[in-house]
Amino acid sequence: MSEIFSKVKNEIAAVLDKYPNGRSAVMDVLRIAQEANGGHLTKEALGEIAALLDMRPVEVNAAAAFYTMYRIQKPAGRHHIWVCRNISCSLLGAEHIIAYLERALRIKTGETTADDKFTLSTAECLGSCGTAPMMQIDDDYYENLTESKIDEILAEKGLK
Amino acid sequence: MVTVKINGKEITVADNTLILEAARDAGCEVPTFCYQADLMGLGSCRMCLVEIEGQKKLQPSCITPVLHGMSILTDSSTVTAARAGVLEFLLANHAMDCPVCDKAGECELQDMVYKYGPAKGAHAETKFKFHEKDYVLSPVIIKNSNRCVQCTKCVRVCREVVGVGVLGSVGRGDHQEETSFLKGLLDCDQDGNCIEVCPVGCFMRLPYRYKARQWDLKSADTVCPYCATGCRMVIEERDGVVVRARAQHGVGVNSETLCSRGRFGFDFIGNAERLTTPLVRKDGVLVPSTWEEAVAVIKENLSAFEGSRIGGVASPRLTNEELYLFQKLFREVLGSPNVDSSARWDSSGVEAFIKAAGMNEGGVSVFDCMDSDAVFIIGSQVSEENPVTDYIIRRISSGRRMNLVIASPRAMKLDSSAQTVVRHNPATEGALLKAIILTLNENKLSVSAGINAIKETKLTDCVASSGVSLEVIKRIADGLKNAESISILVGTEFLRFPEGIDGLDLLKDVCRKSLGKKLRILPLLDRCNQRGAWEMGVHPGFGTGYRAIAGRGMGTHAMLEAATRRGLDAMYVAGVDIASMYPDAGHAREALSALKFLVVQDMFLTDTTRLADVVLPSSAFAEKDGAFTNQEGRVQTIARLKNPPGKAKRDGDIIRAIGQSFERSFGPDNASLVFDEIRREAEMYKEVSLVFNNKRNIDNKLDNKEALVKASSALARGFSAWNGGAPSSEETGDYPFTLMTGNHLFHSGALSSNSASLSGLLRAAVVEISNEDADEMGVKSGSLVRVKGMTHESDMKVIVRRGSKKGVAFIAENFADTPVNRFFSRGRSGARVSITRLG
Ligand code: SF4
Ligand code: SF4
Ligand code: SF4
Ligand code: FES
Ligand code: FES
Repeated sequence: MSEIFSKVKNEIAAVLDKYPNGRSAVMDVLRIAQEANGGHLTKEALGEIAALLDMRPVEVNAAAAFYTMYRIQKPAGRHHIWVCRNISCSLLGAEHIIAYLERALRIKTGETTADDKFTLSTAECLGSCGTAPMMQIDDDYYENLTESKIDEILAEKGLK
Repeated sequence: MVTVKINGKEITVADNTLILEAARDAGCEVPTFCYQADLMGLGSCRMCLVEIEGQKKLQPSCITPVLHGMSILTDSSTVTAARAGVLEFLLANHAMDCPVCDKAGECELQDMVYKYGPAKGAHAETKFKFHEKDYVLSPVIIKNSNRCVQCTKCVRVCREVVGVGVLGSVGRGDHQEETSFLKGLLDCDQDGNCIEVCPVGCFMRLPYRYKARQWDLKSADTVCPYCATGCRMVIEERDGVVVRARAQHGVGVNSETLCSRGRFGFDFIGNAERLTTPLVRKDGVLVPSTWEEAVAVIKENLSAFEGSRIGGVASPRLTNEELYLFQKLFREVLGSPNVDSSARWDSSGVEAFIKAAGMNEGGVSVFDCMDSDAVFIIGSQVSEENPVTDYIIRRISSGRRMNLVIASPRAMKLDSSAQTVVRHNPATEGALLKAIILTLNENKLSVSAGINAIKETKLTDCVASSGVSLEVIKRIADGLKNAESISILVGTEFLRFPEGIDGLDLLKDVCRKSLGKKLRILPLLDRCNQRGAWEMGVHPGFGTGYRAIAGRGMGTHAMLEAATRRGLDAMYVAGVDIASMYPDAGHAREALSALKFLVVQDMFLTDTTRLADVVLPSSAFAEKDGAFTNQEGRVQTIARLKNPPGKAKRDGDIIRAIGQSFERSFGPDNASLVFDEIRREAEMYKEVSLVFNNKRNIDNKLDNKEALVKASSALARGFSAWNGGAPSSEETGDYPFTLMTGNHLFHSGALSSNSASLSGLLRAAVVEISNEDADEMGVKSGSLVRVKGMTHESDMKVIVRRGSKKGVAFIAENFADTPVNRFFSRGRSGARVSITRLG
């Protein structure tokens, strides 16, 4: 078992207890592994999870690839920005918000800044339509966005 | 039964029939992508939508069963519009690169769009691309995901039929890609079934890449030349070069599946090393010659010897017609009783095996076997020796309740389908079977002679020597007792170690006579026409159709013994590389060198041809007509696709030419006349139908029973049983491993080592050991080790197999650089070895 895995051994054992078999715990185990590894899943981690849960590596790969919140083999920046681009946010200018963020961070959607501080992604409806346009950074929501608000938030998060 | 209306026509079908199948039965066409008869239903592509009167939404016919009174429309305007819509969406992101796609011309998407598609798509978005360039998944598989229709047949066949499961659907929606783990290289069986089921040009054969258009190919219906599963396949050539082998859905026992050897191993045919001219030894050197000269030299030399001092060995890969002529040449022209068809197995063991397996009772269909309550596989590494038999067993056993037991020292892929997996010690099949019989006998079976024969045998001894716990043996015995019908699938381990055969013979009697079970025995053989070779009479103990013969001749083993003692003058070897297959390389070489005259007929220069006085260039299966008899006793024809290279001749023509140099009338003249003679000579073949049944038949889908050989009553004298004793107990101290051999998934015998594709999958021999031993030795797959036996040692890489028996090592037969037979002594395909880690 790799170092990262041994670190979260107990946590994994605890979730395994909640499920009838290994396979069904795959999402929880993926989440724990990703968190333990600083936000992304490595090839080795996927392989180890497969061995642990008695699954085929490609099945674990497929489970992880189905959900946008797992990142496979792509390290994320320290802060992960998710901009909602679904209908309510789009009607209120999500496209513009995305373009603005791309300019401010000098990256394209899907990329990470050179200093590894920010990763920019888009998301489908994050369930906050009433305060559209909105984005999520790490675990927090930022709502009713405007350009100046974005400047403030980014500065606070350490954008130089 | 339920009655439904399809497009107004009434039809009665079995309960739970899918609408799709009912419609097809009624002769109505329904297009599909994701449906495949032998795979789990999915209903994802929506190509098969039909209208059911009274229901507003269209229903996928491939997963909806018929209900009584349904009225179904398969080509209403709503259905037609829906199909066009589905195709429009499939094309939305499709690469549309037909001009450079290997599949063009035989692509289901092309055909479907041509027939049902919209004239124009309404999508204006830029197409999503998975990747720019096609990517290689293995030495034989290349992938282009931009053409995918996401039917997931590749994923399902790999998991459900092949049992490997290295493919998955990765991603979601239109970004879903059917591929390997992180798109990496596949460590898998390399059978290419994913290629065969793919309706479009996503999974493609790498060796066939850009080689031809489907309409450029000339094809022939044939049978795979490797193992005796007898897979039907089509081989195709362009400009005289065979470029592809493929299977067809619903044809042959294999339907659309083949293994790596069948699908990729045909390229030995076009190998530049093929022999193209006869060679005659002059002043110690083999020099090119003419057929006239070669045959004259053979005639002159063979005439000088007494028949009984001439021996013949013919390959179990020749056709029935050729093998029949071969034994006829020996018995009727040369006056020699010495014929055999294997360099590996002792002929008396073969005889005992045929008797125990009841092969003279006629053909046994694998599908009938899989209909039994209990299926017991023993003495076979079926997943590797007979891969498609493994697929058939996996597929059928997953769909019905049965008690599947697998007994083998080595772990295998099929273990995961079994209820009970047994790991006995190598070469102890007999002890294991006797332990089972003694357990069955606990509550006193009605006495049969056989039981008496082993009543002195102690259960505890059998248990100890087999290395299997009493509890497991009880479980197997109970399983047999509780089953009404039993099938035993027995493999080549019984031929390598014939001392196990009497156990099998006895179990057969006990099951049938004492327990009153319906019992079938299916031999699992590793050469395409091994059964045919025996049934044609290429054996020193019996004639064509297992008929009794006057005097017993020598088998390969005895011929080699005799040769070293100067008791045999000449041999004629057709297609067998005795020097590299006989268990004990040194002895074989010495014996062949001691002969006064050696004729070898082969496609390639082998260790055996190098020792010959005359070498005759022969032909591949693709170059001849004839029939093979598979392990079930199914007689299937092969058709000629091309001519042999250079001056090479068909094996049958060579045998005939030699025969005619002695007797002008030797024949018959062509394969079909020879087969007529076989029908007359062998009762089993009298009524066999050679008609190629190209359709699924209704009773038992792929099971063409007309092709099975019938029971023979010719066995008047009976077969002699195995008379060799058990091996002397071997010293184990310095040599802790038992070395076993057999076929590798990618290699079996002389053909595969001449296939570039198969050699690309595995070039050199490896030694396989269990994970327990590997952990103890601190080695991993890929580590270098030294394998040391009493007579030979060799360095090679290790492969770790999880779940194999501790203390068992395996090296596959026939790797030129590491001939495993150098470890063996005198006819025994097993040895004690030590394995030490290097570096
Ligand atoms: S070649 Fe066979 S085992 Fe390998 S991915 Fe394809 S179907 Fe699966
Ligand atoms: S790769 Fe071929 S078989 Fe697999 S899902 Fe795509 S179209 Fe179907
Ligand atoms: S299973 Fe045997 S007959 Fe079938 S393709 Fe493989 S080697 Fe050929
Ligand atoms: S659409 Fe953006 S939060 Fe719902
Ligand atoms: S064939 Fe029926 S949904 Fe694909």
